[in-house]
Amino acid sequence: MDTMGKPLFFCVIMCITFNLVFCGTTMVILLDSDFSAAAKMFTVYTTSMLSFTLICVPSQLLSNASYDFHTQSFFGFGQSADIEITLDGADSRKSADIKSEDGKKERHLLYLDGETVSGKINISLRKAGKLEHQGVKVEFVGQIELYYDRGNHHEFTNLVKELARPGELTHNTSYEFEFANVEKPFESYTGSNVRLRYFLRVTIVRRLSDIVKEIELVVHTLSSYPDMNNPIKMEVGIEDCLHIEFEYNKSKYHLKDVIVGKIYFLLVRIKIKHMEIAIIKRETTGSGPHTFTDNETIAKYEIMDGAPVKGESIPIRVFLAGYDLAPTMRDINKKFSVRYYLNLVLMDEEDRRYFKQQEITLWRKGEKSRKSQSASPHLPSHLVSSETGFPQGAPTNGPPQSKKNSDDPLQDGESESPEQSESNTQDPQEREQDRDHAAPIEGMQREEGDGEGDDKTDELSPDSASQ
Amino acid sequence: MAGIEDQEKLLEDAIGVVKVQALQMKHCLDKSKLMDALKHASTMLGELRTSLLSPKSYYELYMAITDELRHLEIYLLDEFQKGRKVTDLYELVQYAGNIVPRLYLLITVGIVYIKTNPCLKRDLLRDLVEMCRGVQHPLRGLFLRNYLLQCTRNILPDNPDDSSTDEGTVRDSVEFILMNFAEMNKLWVRMQHQGHSRERERREREREELRILVGTNLVRLSQLESVTLDKYTKLVLPGILEQVVSCRDAIAQEYLMECIIQVFPDEFHLQTLNAFLKSCAELQNGVNIKNIIISLIDRLAAFSQRSDGVGGPGSPNQLSGIPQDIQLFDVFSDQVSTIVQTRQDMPLEDIISLQVALTNLAHKCYPDRVDYVDKVLLNTHQIFQKINTETLEYNSAVSRELSRLLKIPIDNYKNMLTVLKLKNYRPLLGYFDYEGRKLLATYIVTNILENETLIPSPDQVDAILLMIAPLIQDQQDHTAEDDPEEFAEEQGLLGRLIHYFKSEVADEQYMILSTARKHFVTGGSKRVRYTLPPIVFQAYQLAFTYKNLQKEDDMWQKKCQKIFQFCHSTITALLKVELAELPLRLFLQGALAIGEIRFDNFEMVAYEFISQAFSIYEDEISDSKAQFAAITLIIATFEQMNCFGEENAEPVRNQCALYASKLLRKPDQCRGVATCSHIFWSGKSLSTDGKEMQDKNKVLDCLKKGIRIANQCMDISVQVQLYIELLNHYIYFYEKGNTAVTVQILNQVISKIKDELPNLEISEETEQIQKHFANTLDHLKNRIESPEAETQSYEGLVL
Repeated sequence: MDTMGKPLFFCVIMCITFNLVFCGTTMVILLDSDFSAAAKMFTVYTTSMLSFTLICVPSQLLSNASYDFHTQSFFGFGQSADIEITLDGADSRKSADIKSEDGKKERHLLYLDGETVSGKINISLRKAGKLEHQGVKVEFVGQIELYYDRGNHHEFTNLVKELARPGELTHNTSYEFEFANVEKPFESYTGSNVRLRYFLRVTIVRRLSDIVKEIELVVHTLSSYPDMNNPIKMEVGIEDCLHIEFEYNKSKYHLKDVIVGKIYFLLVRIKIKHMEIAIIKRETTGSGPHTFTDNETIAKYEIMDGAPVKGESIPIRVFLAGYDLAPTMRDINKKFSVRYYLNLVLMDEEDRRYFKQQEITLWRKGEKSRKSQSASPHLPSHLVSSETGFPQGAPTNGPPQSKKNSDDPLQDGESESPEQSESNTQDPQEREQDRDHAAPIEGMQREEGDGEGDDKTDELSPDSASQ
Repeated sequence: MAGIEDQEKLLEDAIGVVKVQALQMKHCLDKSKLMDALKHASTMLGELRTSLLSPKSYYELYMAITDELRHLEIYLLDEFQKGRKVTDLYELVQYAGNIVPRLYLLITVGIVYIKTNPCLKRDLLRDLVEMCRGVQHPLRGLFLRNYLLQCTRNILPDNPDDSSTDEGTVRDSVEFILMNFAEMNKLWVRMQHQGHSRERERREREREELRILVGTNLVRLSQLESVTLDKYTKLVLPGILEQVVSCRDAIAQEYLMECIIQVFPDEFHLQTLNAFLKSCAELQNGVNIKNIIISLIDRLAAFSQRSDGVGGPGSPNQLSGIPQDIQLFDVFSDQVSTIVQTRQDMPLEDIISLQVALTNLAHKCYPDRVDYVDKVLLNTHQIFQKINTETLEYNSAVSRELSRLLKIPIDNYKNMLTVLKLKNYRPLLGYFDYEGRKLLATYIVTNILENETLIPSPDQVDAILLMIAPLIQDQQDHTAEDDPEEFAEEQGLLGRLIHYFKSEVADEQYMILSTARKHFVTGGSKRVRYTLPPIVFQAYQLAFTYKNLQKEDDMWQKKCQKIFQFCHSTITALLKVELAELPLRLFLQGALAIGEIRFDNFEMVAYEFISQAFSIYEDEISDSKAQFAAITLIIATFEQMNCFGEENAEPVRNQCALYASKLLRKPDQCRGVATCSHIFWSGKSLSTDGKEMQDKNKVLDCLKKGIRIANQCMDISVQVQLYIELLNHYIYFYEKGNTAVTVQILNQVISKIKDELPNLEISEETEQIQKHFANTLDHLKNRIESPEAETQSYEGLVL
């Protein structure tokens, strides 16, 4: 922040405020005696009002950097310049979507951990003449923003490159820059309470107000295949009521993976209406007493219709590619975590829900290996094999071919804002307690009468699959 | 569930949605917007998620939707064949959140994949049938799996095992269908246990409506051409049976077993009888196992007959019938008895029905193996013994079944002699009550009569008579009175039956008759009148047979004598039950027969018979009309006989005349005497050497006596009648050349009649008398006008 900018700004504000108060009071007094004088006063008043709005309101809304820029241009003091950042290989580099804070999807260039971020910065002067500055620099910033603590952004990475020493710019200038092999430890993420973002910031430092330009980057963290990837297998139930054994073929899934599994019914004394698998994203921010948890149901996927009997085994096959998922993030910089759970929900005829949540780890897989197995693109994968009931060669299979998501009607829900559910912070704690009280075999929750819109059948139609 | 109107409304709404979505789907397909089309298809399929429709309405909805899905399939097929591959369509459709639409789409797309890329066949089929497990709702699941079955019907791999390709072999198809079948059956059975118990009837009705869906699996299996006998035995049938037995649901078991029988070829059944029948024994108690086995037996029996019918053994056209190495009957017999043993609660009538079926089988497949039938009967007998059955009430279910069982051999063999070979036949008869036994006895007799079966040995006669004892003797348990008409009819049958006791060998025949008599004599007064006379006649006939055999049989005379002794005692038995006329006639008939046969001592025996007749006349016949009839009969018989010497003939003749004149009523006396006159004219004896004795005067005496007696009649019309009759006698003798009868006498009689005729009151009787007289006169006129050479002329006759 420029040290000179602030006093000037306050002066202006003070002037206008005085003007407002003075004109307002005078106008009210004069209104009884002299109308034309009052009218004059009113004109001054409105002008002041207008300036106040123009100056103060944007300054409240915009970041400090942008207000500097605006004030300068607004007042037209001295020289000004536009900054343009061009990243190397922008044409050939992949880009990726990320949600902005207000939920809109934005598309930015995609970088991976360790990749060099380099480019060119063009500074073009608005008018002829020189631009005095205290130096030009470019920063690579990775920061975590907690929405409830806006003033405090936690930068976990901040690399600075000096582009120019203090001096004067007399003509349009370009600077090359390179952050070689930058470490980008975390994946970009926009959640409901937290955001992790990377951006480049170019600053022309000046006495009064800096000229600043930022550009967002998206970072994906790729993982290698997990060494240990045991299936999840568990027997759960409610005593004398429902005993099931479920099995998911892995505990760690990559984002385009397929969850394959089965549910074996050992005891059924309730009238089950249907069963679904929900993918729940749980975002935890803060620590200690200030922990906030937000649960979001990313997907609901019906895997059984009707009531099974003892001995039935129901197959599970969920294609994760269809949903808006990000890798699991554990304790990112001690600020937040994003975890995923598979929630197996059984609904009985009285709309009671029986469920069991099981954490799964999601990870992002590099895309290179994919090409090796794309020999037959329309060969269905993950078919049930006769021997195991699991997809043939599932663990070694690469992800399915990438799809143009926008073409896919079955995934349209992705672009709509997902329904937020179960987002009260107490919920998990209650559940935690329930779990503690339950007997070892029971590990299943039961909720009374929460249909959760399940009777609204339309909601579960395929075009809203990602709800 | 909602009422009929609600159902219609619901269905209408659903169909409406389907139409709209289908239209949009097609629209999108036309514009090549596949993803949008899939979306509409999915919405359309969403209608199948309903729980509100009855099976019938759901079926209609299903039909409407699958109809529309075909458009999608055709479009996709077209696109695929054009080479426009839609990447990962199989995966894409699996993003649908709801399982029912998802699986329908998956099947539709899967089929397209299979059709365009047969190497995926095996894997995709397995995947589809496995994924369908997700629908556990009975109705929805059944229809979903039915869709799967429908779609795959033409693409199931049907190659023999050894051709190992990715397309899969028939083994894969079998596994596929068996799995689908097992799942469908489970769902179908599950319907039974859902909902309220008071709706059970409706549920069972609905299940009946849906059963064809389950059965289609078996039809599909049977349509696989590469399923050989070996595969059927090792793979198909065990799979089906395991499911059928383990589902433990009576409705399903009954239907599916029946299905197995009907859809698979007979050749397979023949080779898998043991397995099939063993499973039958394991079915639920509620299953009507009888029907299943009977249906199988009927089918195999029909098969056996069909294969025998074509060409016949040895001909090239002959189908491979029941192979020699399969002991069809033994297998069935063993398994049936196992079933009977294991299923204690099986109603007796069903057990017997099974035996009926077994008998049918034995008969149709092994027509010459009487021992098989006998074995069935033995088993039945043992069953009755085991449960201590005493009597089966007439018309009870068991009784009906048993009589069905017992009628089969009769009907089938059409020969009681074969039935007699069944050692266990008669004991079974004993379980019926009187009505039942009698009915069956009648049935047996009727059968013999209809088929004209001759019973050629005394033992057989004995056996048959024992079987039909209820007709022959009074029964201990017989209480109610018989309907007289019915009784007469039955006994009439018996009478006819006796004529079928016939041996070629005369000695045998005698034995037969004496055996028969032994039985019939015990029949009591009501029966012997029907049964003994035929025996007597048979005996007479036998005597004639011996006569014809005299050249071969030295003993024939003694034997004849014995026969007549036999007849004598038989007739005497009839006498003992206070019958008169019948013995009388039999004696007379006997006398005639003796006269014909002329064995040693014949005169004495004949005389004995005649004298017996007289003594019956004296002792037993008291009614005047009967007396008249009897004496007329005696006279007529005697007139025919020529076997007596004069010393025996004389007393008989006189006796006849005496009895005739001693009849009570005058008209009878008159007629008797007139009849008697013929003895003296055409009677023969040994002394006349077989010629007529033609005693003119005695004849005239008799006729004169007749006139005298007629004179004494008070009733003029009777008198005239008698005169006319006497005139006829006179004319007869005149024409025969009795010179003692003259025209004068004739004139006298005629004038006498003419005198009296006008005095008759006009009545119907008078008319007849006048007619009789006129006819007589006409005869005379004829004779006068055209005299015959040999007869005397009627010169001087005054008409």
